Amino acid sequence: MHKLETEVLVIGGGATGTGVAWDAALRGFKVILVERRDLTHGTSGRYHGLLHSGGRYAVKDPHGAAECIAENQILRVTHAHCIEDTSGFFVVLPEDEGEYPDKFKAGCDAVGIPCTEISVAEALRREPLLNPRISRVFEVPDGSSDSFLAAHATAQAARNAGAQILTYHEVTNLLLAGSESDRRVAGAMVHNVVTGEDMEIHADITINAAGAWTGKLAAMAGIEITIMPSKGTMVAMNHRLVNTVVNRCKVPSDGDIIVPSHTVCVIGTTSINVPDPEPLRIEPWEVQKMLEEGDKMVPGFAQARVLRAWAGVRPLFQDTYTSGKGRDVTRKLALLDHKEREGVSGFLTITGGKWTTFRLMAEATVDDICRHLGTERPCTTATTPVPGAEQGHYWLGHRLHDIEENRLQSELVCECELVTRTMVENAARRNPLLTLDDLRRDVRLGKGPCQGGFCTYRAAGILHEMKKAGSWEVDMSDEAGSTAKWEVAYLQSPAHNLTSDADGHQSSEQPANTADAFNPNLLLRDFLQERWKGVTPILWGRQLKQERLDELIYMSLMNVDHLPDKGLASPVTDFYHFDTRPTVEEVADV
Amino acid sequence: MSDLLIIGAGLSGLMAAYTAVKAGMRVNVAAKGLGSLHWCAGTIDVLGYTAEQPNVPVKRPLEQISALVETHPQHPYALLTNEHLAQTLATFVALSKDIGVPYGGANNPGDNLLLPSPAGAARPAYLAPKGQLAGDLSRTEPMLIVGFEGLRDFYPELIAENLTKQGYSARAAFLPKKLATNRRDFTNVQLAQGMDSKEQRALLGPALKKLVRPGERIGLPAILGIKAHATILAELERETGAPIFEIPTLPPSVPGVRLYTALRSYLQGLGVHLTAGMEVLTAKTVAPNGVPGTVQWVESATSARPLKLLADKYLLATGGILGGGFNSEMNGRVWETIFDLPLTVPQERADWFQASFLSPQGHPVFSGGVSVNKAFQPAAENGQPLYANLWAAGKLLAHSDAIQERSTEGIAIATGVAAAQALSS
Repeated sequence: MHKLETEVLVIGGGATGTGVAWDAALRGFKVILVERRDLTHGTSGRYHGLLHSGGRYAVKDPHGAAECIAENQILRVTHAHCIEDTSGFFVVLPEDEGEYPDKFKAGCDAVGIPCTEISVAEALRREPLLNPRISRVFEVPDGSSDSFLAAHATAQAARNAGAQILTYHEVTNLLLAGSESDRRVAGAMVHNVVTGEDMEIHADITINAAGAWTGKLAAMAGIEITIMPSKGTMVAMNHRLVNTVVNRCKVPSDGDIIVPSHTVCVIGTTSINVPDPEPLRIEPWEVQKMLEEGDKMVPGFAQARVLRAWAGVRPLFQDTYTSGKGRDVTRKLALLDHKEREGVSGFLTITGGKWTTFRLMAEATVDDICRHLGTERPCTTATTPVPGAEQGHYWLGHRLHDIEENRLQSELVCECELVTRTMVENAARRNPLLTLDDLRRDVRLGKGPCQGGFCTYRAAGILHEMKKAGSWEVDMSDEAGSTAKWEVAYLQSPAHNLTSDADGHQSSEQPANTADAFNPNLLLRDFLQERWKGVTPILWGRQLKQERLDELIYMSLMNVDHLPDKGLASPVTDFYHFDTRPTVEEVADV
Repeated sequence: MSDLLIIGAGLSGLMAAYTAVKAGMRVNVAAKGLGSLHWCAGTIDVLGYTAEQPNVPVKRPLEQISALVETHPQHPYALLTNEHLAQTLATFVALSKDIGVPYGGANNPGDNLLLPSPAGAARPAYLAPKGQLAGDLSRTEPMLIVGFEGLRDFYPELIAENLTKQGYSARAAFLPKKLATNRRDFTNVQLAQGMDSKEQRALLGPALKKLVRPGERIGLPAILGIKAHATILAELERETGAPIFEIPTLPPSVPGVRLYTALRSYLQGLGVHLTAGMEVLTAKTVAPNGVPGTVQWVESATSARPLKLLADKYLLATGGILGGGFNSEMNGRVWETIFDLPLTVPQERADWFQASFLSPQGHPVFSGGVSVNKAFQPAAENGQPLYANLWAAGKLLAHSDAIQERSTEGIAIATGVAAAQALSS
């Protein structure tokens, strides 16, 4: 069996895991990160995209709020291009009047969150769709973040510092050494879900950054960690109804925040304890609740066109498990030293927290790694921008500007999200890619109003042409990690992708044994089903009409349901086929 | 004031207009937009698959329909006899020649064609425009599928590979994009309009001639002209010595635009008044003596004011959910937008969908619609018309999922013609 040696093995390719890999690599450790699917397959890819100012925690959790504002200011520098500087409002609706707003202001002041009360007139001037009946508005430095781009940029920074990032590598077991009383985790057994190969990765220390899967991973070492997966459902609207993050100024609850994100806005969330991190059902009442709550902040919200719904889980950690509601459990980071807790050495768990504090979580983790490995090396991530940060903050017109400046109109593969052909080609060559869903995370393919109606066919056709020309060499082997080609900081920028890597390229390497997975008919079917999964909870009105047009295109015109290779499946086919249809109302288990 | 107001300019509305004007009626057509032909492949799909055998393309659709209406007596095709259905299709074929966009069928009369889709699947279609017929997969010549580099809506390698996997002989080739267009920003319709110019297409024939091998037929994206389409086809066949066929691709549909444009101007020549951008919003109906009531007028809102449209008789051909004839909302309500006619659509979202997007059973929400009696009048269960002067045709009719069974245009033609015959008799 194939074996790899490393000092630090990180399990989990979300914000936390990539952050740990980055930090550890910067401190000179040899690092391997394994992720069972694509980067951000889990919670990092399924949240509303808020860069917290800390305001939401200012009253209840001052410590968490202080962490947020500190990290907010750091990430604006280190991950500038992954952040849109939207600012944030906390608005007081008639039903929210009372003591909370003053407590909120005092809380912000106490932990150093810049918080200014602005006039309602000023707020309405900036956000004309806001409910005019609001009585007070506080402005804080909230922002909107792109967690896909951030994970890619962080992972690239880690690679540049020598780390190996292995996506589609699933841990099947932990390697245990030592005696019963002196147990040590010595690495992990890893299964390459694309090639089907297994390997052992031996590590001095193994980091459990598996997010919602943390408990399952720890169980492989005989350790019990009570993670309470708390489901949050989010709904994306077809329009950017606000340009500023809008929060209700009250004790956090369901549907109290609207985050502008690229060309859309997202309302979140619910908070429901669930037994498993995946798959997640979205109940009709959740969608209805989001729209009703959104309507309170932005009248007319519930009548606007809905684009999609999805759910993620907060991996909430509570030492002594109680059946409390998800939102009441601490959102603080939890770094568990299993040597101290259970006598198992070589194994740390980092969990809890939130996207905004991922860098801090990584810093704490790698500080502990240093202690365990008997070395002292200072953290430098707070002052080290990741590749791409020099572009400055994201702004809404960025892609349109690039397209017009460079006259790329005929190159558009996805008109909704302004994705060009060369962006697709370069993403396919620079980032290990197994499905069109991976391309969605890389370049936002298929995220717009038609939900893949036009771009699914085009992207499958382009990848197929590249495969025929030998210029889509999808290297999923473990050597892939060290290639310098893995250059993802500019995947989302049309102007940085004017020329294609694929031009004139002749592959000298034998492609991996991937014939089945990289089949264009499978790409088509998988992505159509993936998009279907996210729209079924919100299909009515104009989006239902859009869906029927997509049926006309893929059934009547393309006849995709009668293409060859019907028996093929990718590692994510089953996941896409999870039934998300609305059900007759059930009473939520909260 | 006209004899008949047709609401909707899709294929059913246009065929009804043709039938009614030929029967001597004064006909107006009010349409929200340009009609659904702009979305479709431009073929006449009569029946491609059945729920019983979802993976086997129907070979002889008219015969299969005889069996279908036995088991599905409420299906729109059951409103006509098989002979009547055949007559309506013959009416369309004759009309297509008159308007200069001739349609034809398989070599073996009564068979479905099998035409290459832009993904390389075999599409069952009963009739196709002349420019698509040489693509019939029952023919044996090997296929050369030619695309243009950088054209985003056509992937010849994908088409050729999938055709080959299904046992057909096909290979792919590319031509430089400049042979198709010099535009920077284009739709397929604009590419086709560009081809109408002799200068733009001057180099295409010689370039294809270089690529093609003896005995091959050539498949191209459906961008071979709008007005000059017939000329271009003949030119290219002459210059290459090979049969040429088009493969329709993503909307807007060039073959659909050709048919719509020709049909519309022909109808206008016959005296039909067709107004696009005239969305009908509401209807004024009265029912002093209960059912059936009477439609007094319908209202549009153009130029920001209500506009009454009056006629003796009204034909509703607004399509279903896609066409805009129905709307729906979160609570599961689906309604017909003008008359609020009763619909067979399940009124619970939980019952609308199958779990899989490409489910061969079809999503129940899309097979619901308006129930009509044998005279094509929206009717109560006992067959009593709801309004004495209202008829309905096309996709809004209940009890079929036309996209699933590939019967969209067949149902549109059959019910459009038959409804107009019923109301004019």
